Amino acid sequence: MLGVRADAQDAAQETFVRAWRSLPRFRGGSSMSTWLYRIVTRRCLDKLAKRRPTEALDEIEVEDDLDPAQAAEHRERLRAVTHAIATLPPEQRAALVLREFEGLSYQEVAEVLGTSLAAVKGRIHRARLTIIQETSSWQ
Amino acid sequence: MTELTRILPCGVRLEDLLLQVADAAPPADEAHQATCPYCQTALRRLRRDWADVTELANQPVSVPRGLTQQIMAHVRSLAAQASDYILLGHPQGESRISHIVIGRVAQRLVSTVPGIVFASVRAEPHTPPQADRVALSIQLVVRFGPALHPLAESVRHRVQRQTPRLTGARIERIDITINDMAV
Repeated sequence: MLGVRADAQDAAQETFVRAWRSLPRFRGGSSMSTWLYRIVTRRCLDKLAKRRPTEALDEIEVEDDLDPAQAAEHRERLRAVTHAIATLPPEQRAALVLREFEGLSYQEVAEVLGTSLAAVKGRIHRARLTIIQETSSWQ
Repeated sequence: MTELTRILPCGVRLEDLLLQVADAAPPADEAHQATCPYCQTALRRLRRDWADVTELANQPVSVPRGLTQQIMAHVRSLAAQASDYILLGHPQGESRISHIVIGRVAQRLVSTVPGIVFASVRAEPHTPPQADRVALSIQLVVRFGPALHPLAESVRHRVQRQTPRLTGARIERIDITINDMAV
């Protein structure tokens, strides 16, 4: 979501602190995990809004058994995907990460982002199109 | 129009095939897809490309060494602070109000209830500690006359209603003890 380990650690800490403070107001209207995803996603979107566009992303670390040339190409492909995700508009990025990386259903993503199911499907679809177009031969 | 938004010669939209691949959804027209060379070629390419996204998503994410302990230490320090203060969060910072102040506010409120001669109020952290909640322990000296149980309920009602309004604290529990009677 953030692409920078230090920012992700900050967001994790801020999320649990905020969750602890907000726990008395948690009424069980959603599952605890949805509630935590909502807090952490909001923290990440806030950080993205404040981030300078030139900030470098962390390198991808890939563990595999490929030879050096294949490993380099493999890393490059994954780096291209990371870069494509990082250049998505934040709302699309959040929806995509929750769906593809966290495995949430479309409905759960909508609850976390506080938007409609149709809006979430639209964001994820546009994000997927962008990623495929940016990283592959579909150009 | 980009390549992915175009329609294949067979009439199938390429972006619908992407949806099928990414969501592992069944094809809209299975019979057509089974025999259509355009769909099969496009699906092969999309599956190959989308595999990189899936692989990235499946990369294990390890929790950095010490992060959990660091976070829990921070939360515990907040919990410790909450034993002396309530914390009222705000996007631009936080406000702390001492339990002593909350107790004094409640004490003034109790003192105005007819029939109360003396009141002492102690605000204590809610158990388990939560940022804006307190439990109040009220000790009373009353005058002879009013029925004691309704008097205690009048005290409870006033404190429960007015203390949150004046302090921001949420009152989790109110224990009232009538210790003495002035005659």
